[in-house]
Formats: sequence, structure tokens, C-alpha cells
Amino acid sequence: MAGRNLFATTNARVVGAFCVAALLHLAGTMLIPGYSSPFAVRAMLVLASLLAVASIGQTLVVIMGGIDLSIPFVIGFANVVAAQLYGDGWNFVLVCGLVGVLAVLIGGLNGLIARSLDIQPLIVTLGIGMVVQGLVLLWTAGFPSGSAPQAVSSFVSIGGSAGPLPVPWLVPSLVVVAAIVVLVLERTPYGRRLYALGSNPGAAPLALIDPVRMWVITYAASAFFAAVAGVLLLGFTGSAYGDVGQPYLFQTIAAVVVGGAALVGGRGSYLGTIAGVLVLTEINTLLIGLGFQPSAVQAALGLIIVLLVSLYGRERHVSTTI
Amino acid sequence: MSPLARLLSLGRSVGFAVVLLAVLLAVNLILSPARFQPGSWGALVGLAAPLIGAAIASTPVILAGRGGIDISVGPLMGFVNAVVIQMLFLKAGISSPLLLVPAALLIGALVGAANGFLATIVRIQPIVATLGTYLILTGVTLTILPAPIGPAPAWLKTLSGPLSMLPLALMFIAWWLVRRTPYHDQLMAVGSDDRAAYTAGVDVTRVRFIAYVMTGILGGCAGLMLTALIGSADPNIGPTYTLIAIAAVALGGVSLAGGRGGIAGAAIGAIDIFLLQSVLTTFNVSTFVLQIAYGAILVLAVMLTALQERLAMRGR
Repeated sequence: MAGRNLFATTNARVVGAFCVAALLHLAGTMLIPGYSSPFAVRAMLVLASLLAVASIGQTLVVIMGGIDLSIPFVIGFANVVAAQLYGDGWNFVLVCGLVGVLAVLIGGLNGLIARSLDIQPLIVTLGIGMVVQGLVLLWTAGFPSGSAPQAVSSFVSIGGSAGPLPVPWLVPSLVVVAAIVVLVLERTPYGRRLYALGSNPGAAPLALIDPVRMWVITYAASAFFAAVAGVLLLGFTGSAYGDVGQPYLFQTIAAVVVGGAALVGGRGSYLGTIAGVLVLTEINTLLIGLGFQPSAVQAALGLIIVLLVSLYGRERHVSTTI
Repeated sequence: MSPLARLLSLGRSVGFAVVLLAVLLAVNLILSPARFQPGSWGALVGLAAPLIGAAIASTPVILAGRGGIDISVGPLMGFVNAVVIQMLFLKAGISSPLLLVPAALLIGALVGAANGFLATIVRIQPIVATLGTYLILTGVTLTILPAPIGPAPAWLKTLSGPLSMLPLALMFIAWWLVRRTPYHDQLMAVGSDDRAAYTAGVDVTRVRFIAYVMTGILGGCAGLMLTALIGSADPNIGPTYTLIAIAAVALGGVSLAGGRGGIAGAAIGAIDIFLLQSVLTTFNVSTFVLQIAYGAILVLAVMLTALQERLAMRGR
């Protein structure tokens, strides 16, 4: 295979992203004492798992050719509503069910408006997200209260353990969920339709794929996983915070893209997103460990995203698309 | 094209935004006649100017199509704001507009060229390339300017009121000149169908690259307008303009798919958003309600625009 085409296939991009993550970890271990200590690795795995959950929806939406900017708002929504209702004495299972249903409705509305009227999902999801955040703020008067039940906290706690494994249950659960997502994308009619719709939105309806239905389902799934991330973050930070999801706006997009997906749709995989999540977590930990200020970490993150994507995420020239 | 036909085509492309503009203006005039009396229109334009500037700046790359978007316009405005005040005015003591204005435009052009290089020559998806620039510019701005600082040069502060028409007028004149060149036709052709444009011999890469540089220069100008309005340097204000500016562009009838619209639409969309904020503020509601109404009206506005377009297609 010629060097120029080395990163041409999706699989090669995924392998490339995993290699970058491994190299970053190696660099961290050599530069910073204690970088590979059990506690540090556990912390990174938990942070990466939380980002990976939030990125499931973005992966699906991007493969379909959309984008979801409402993820951080839905994360904040789930975080605050779950804490508030649980604090009011509700049964936590009921709370989670309600939050999940509401999230699915929000996501479904995103997909319905964007597809049926053919409006840029960028604007729709941003607007809906702002409405959701405003409603939550109005409801709590800006000061959310409440906390997560002990079970959720220990599920995501960095010091927790899952049976014989020295990691909290979050990490093995994520592995199972990831396997299911990969399976759904690779082996089910839904997955096939998702890729078909993303690669050629014009031809997909001719193959009896209902675009509106697909968009509603996929955006609903995206909001659902964002809500799951919001509840998990509640357990992680201990108290409710409406803006807890904000860092996830660009991080989910960055993880999906570093993992080899194309924002024009039709390309990408959840395995790639996980590789992207690992890369982002490693970079973040490495730079903070090296003593950079948060602002410098942000600048470096931007630089590295651009470098990585220019390495293996390049688009084709227009002359090759004719 | 006769002036009437041109007016009609403008009306079709920005249609809904113009109706919304008239409605919002009337509502504002009824609700707060004092704030909207003719004498204070200058001050109002000054308040709206940075958003209008940001929306105009976001337009060229969106017109260029194939996912063309520049989410680094907001951070660029903040970066220009920080460099002009903190580094050039306060540290180096340069206060002459003859030096500061070209410096701001040059910074914009360089950032635009970097974005253009990444998006058209390296061929990274524009939203990712400019996300990278977004993060870099925000980080660098916070590094050179950790906290707000002032003041701005006196001449720049005078541009905040009625005189903020001046940079806006210059933007429109610049765009009017661009429209008279073959480049504008090429930009629209590339935006509508880059493959057809390529086969017709248009240098697609060059056309898109220039669009990014134009966005950068206009963004630098918008950064100066922001500096004039706040009269100081603040590292946190710039990035907040990004998404609102893009929403304004979409509201103004510029297709985010490229090839359709212009800066007049973007400016009207921005004025719509400004008037909307103004209406909601006069109701004296909490900022939470403000946010709900703001998001809801944004979605409703793009929905109505889409419905109107659909009706127009049917009528043809």
C-alpha cells in the first residue's frame, strides 16, 4: 500500500488513533513520574468512559450526516433534574426513567424539525438546547440542589472496584455498551441504513429508508446517551451543576473526528470514537501533568486536533469526486 | 438586472428576515418609545454593531459551500481585542488608528489565511479546522490577557455610538466592490456546486481560500468594533459571538449549504437577533426566560424560513 493511502480506510484511521493514544501514554510515563500509577490510570479510564458515553450519540448523528450541539445542554438538564427530583424524595429508578423519556422527546424533536423541514441541524440543536437549559434554570431558579444516590456515586467513583477488577463498574459497563453499539452499527438493518443515509441522503429514500424516521430515532438516541452521561456526572461530581456538560460540546465532536469520522456523513465507527476519546484524555492529562495553565492546555488541544486530523482525516480534492 | 428586479431577488433571499425585522421594529417602538426614539438610534446601532460585524464576517466562508463555516470568528474578535489593547496600546504605546486598524486587519487576514490553509489545502473539514483555531485563539487570548483590562484609545471609543456606522459602511462598500468582480460569481458557483465549478475551470481551492481570508479580515474589523463598544479588553466576550453570528447568518436567508445569500441578509439577521434581545429585555423577564424565548424564536424563525422557501418553490 502506498504511503499516501495508508490512512485511507476507516479501519486504518482507527488503528492510527489508537497508536497515537498509546504513544501519548508512553510519552506521559517517561515525562511525568506516577503517570502510569494505578490511581492515575483509573482516573483516566473513568474520565474517558464519561466522555465515551457522551460521544455515543454524536458518533451516530455524525455518521448520519448531522451534528448535535444540544448534547451539553441535555447533559446539564439530566444532571440537574435527576438531582432535584431525587432530592425531593422521588424513587431514583423513576427519576431516571422520567429523565430518559424527556431526553428522548427532546432528541426526537431535534431530529423531526431538522429533517422534515430540511434545516441545518446546527441551528436547530443549538436553539432547542438553549430552550432546554433555560427551562431547567427557570425551574431551579438558577440554584439546583440535591445529590446522587450512593449507588451512582460508587458506580463511577475513581476509587471503586468492580468485583475482582480494580476499576469502578462504569468501565466494564462501557465496554459492554460499546460492544453493543458496534454490533448495532455493523450488523443490524438500523446500522446499514444509518451509513446509507449518511453517504447518500438523496439515494437512501429510493432504498426505502425513511429519512425523517431515521433522524428522529438517531437524535433521540443521542439525547438519551447525553442524559445517561448527565446522571453519571452527577455521581462523579457529587452535586448538580447546570453547566457541567459545556466542555462536552466540542470534546464530543473532536473525539468523533479524531476517531476518523467524516462530518459530511457516511463514515466513522464507535471504535474510532473510543480511540479519539482516549487520545483527548491522554493529551489533557499529559498537558496538565506537565504544568500547563488551563488556557495553554486549550490552545495545545486545538493545535493537536488540527495536527492529528491533518495526518489522517483529510478530505478528497474536488477533482477526485467527479 | 434592473433595480426593481434586484430588490425583488433580495426580498426573496432574505424575505422572512425582513418581515421579522419590520415586526420587531414595530414591537420595539410600541413597547419602549423612549429607547427607540430617533435620537438614540445611533447608540442602538453602536450596541448592535459587533454582532452585525460578526455575522457579516461569517458569511463569505458559508457562501463557499461544502460545509464551509468559520466558528473561530468570535475568538478572533476576542484575540484582536486583546492584542490591540493589551499588547499594542498599553504595552507598546501605539495609539494611532493608522497603525492599529491595519494591525487588526492584518491579524484577521493571517488567522483567515491559516484557516483557509487548513480547510482548503490540508483539506480538514472546516468545522474541525476552525474548531482547532477556536481553541488556539481562546487559549492564547487568555494567556496574554488573563483578566479584563482597559481603557481603549479615545478615537476607538468614539466609534461606539452613531459613528459605528462607519466600519459597517466600509464593510458593505468592500463587499459591494467584491460583488463587481468575477470572483463573486466564482464564489457563488463554487458554493452551489463545486464539482460543476471545477469542471468549468474555476480554481475551487483558490476561491475558497480567498473566502477564508475575507472572513478573517472582516472578523478583524468586527474585533475592532467590539473593542470600540466595550471600551476595554475582555478575554471572555469574543467567543460568545460565534454561534449567535452563525444563527444570524442562517436567519438572514444565507444557505448554510453555500451558494445562496449575501452580507445584506446576514446583517438583517443580526439586527433581527438584536431587536429580539431588545424586546425580551423590555419585558423585564429573568435571563432564564430570555434564554428560552431566544432559543424558541431562533428555531421558529428558521422553521418559518424553511416553510416560506418551500411555498416559494411550489409557487414557481
